[in-house]
Amino acid sequence: MKSSYLRASAALACAVVLTACGGDDGQLLLAGTISGVTKPGMILMNNNGSEFEVPVPSNGTGVTTFRFPELISSDDKYDVKVKSAPSNVDITTCKYLYNTGRAGFDVTNIQISCAFRTQALGGTVSNLKGELVLINGSDRVIVPAGATTFTMARVAQDAPYGVSILTNPANQSCTIANGVGTVGAADVNNVTVTCAP
Amino acid sequence: MKSSLIRPALALALAASLAACGGSDKAEFIVAGSVTDLVYDGLVLTNAGVALKVAPPTTAGAAVRFAFPDKLEYGDTYAVTVTGNPAHQTCEPGVPPGGLYANNADTAGRLVTIDIAIACKINEYTVGGTITGLTGAGLVLANGSTGGTYTAATPATPPATTPIAYELPLVKFGTTYGVTVTKQPAGQVCTVANPTGTMGDARVQNVNVTCVAA
Repeated sequence: MKSSYLRASAALACAVVLTACGGDDGQLLLAGTISGVTKPGMILMNNNGSEFEVPVPSNGTGVTTFRFPELISSDDKYDVKVKSAPSNVDITTCKYLYNTGRAGFDVTNIQISCAFRTQALGGTVSNLKGELVLINGSDRVIVPAGATTFTMARVAQDAPYGVSILTNPANQSCTIANGVGTVGAADVNNVTVTCAP
Repeated sequence: MKSSLIRPALALALAASLAACGGSDKAEFIVAGSVTDLVYDGLVLTNAGVALKVAPPTTAGAAVRFAFPDKLEYGDTYAVTVTGNPAHQTCEPGVPPGGLYANNADTAGRLVTIDIAIACKINEYTVGGTITGLTGAGLVLANGSTGGTYTAATPATPPATTPIAYELPLVKFGTTYGVTVTKQPAGQVCTVANPTGTMGDARVQNVNVTCVAA
């Protein structure tokens, strides 16, 4: 008689323990790194359920770490994806590494990288009689004599741009109008270079 | 009787094979490896006082194989170090593919072959200068679209009379830079002196910004 009580209570204790394990309040982190966050609106989702909006890093690089506020439990399956992205990110470009699995320890190695939407940057040149070298930071473009237009490398939305002259053409001096700004959701094609004499 | 013949024969065979082991074709190890991302001339690797010059690859971007002339025997140690950096680059022992640690020093024979990884990268330096006359808030400088930005702190009241030093992020040797004013400060117009150039072998500190009332 005694042993059957024991058994029953043991079974009950087991059940309690198992419930605790299966609950949604676990002990393990679900975290990683993400790139492509320069604006609010990068929302991650785990198992099509719990969501987390990644805070925007202050240094403008768009690279930051994230950590779901809810902890997961040992042996829980996880599947982290981008649910929705800010307007300057194309969600179809997001690449994932180690974003799915079954938790054994803290999960901190998820890697997500999303690319920014880009816009064209260019404009017109007038009276160019020699070779002109234009730059936008590290992007360098040689504009040949006689050219009337130029195109720089594409620029991420919301990034600044500053088109400057690295080398003037021989015996000429050029000036730039509308060379500085921040790229919005449209191509920039109003940079105007005028050379004299 | 039969077995007593077999035994000496076995002993003889054993002795012969041992002699082969100890003979002239015993295991030798070549201290070799590859250098990644080498672009410029001047790399010198050294092992046990022997220097080895390594030239850049003929195909840009390819890895360069190197091998020291002296061969090691089983149990000899080796330690390959960079004793001369190429121009405009810094090289150091790297982590081989699939490995966790640098493998430039070890004991010959612990692995079947010695394949040391040396990794080079192009030197990079900051671009900066001073900001003079800043009284308004909100000045933002940028180096193109990917070279980073510098946001000036809001000037104190009264504003400092000494120029403010600033630095933009690192730029690789041989890469161009072009500093522009992305956002003018409130009530002022700033201009940039020496705004463009190509990065050399030292920090650029002459991109000076002067701000005056608009």
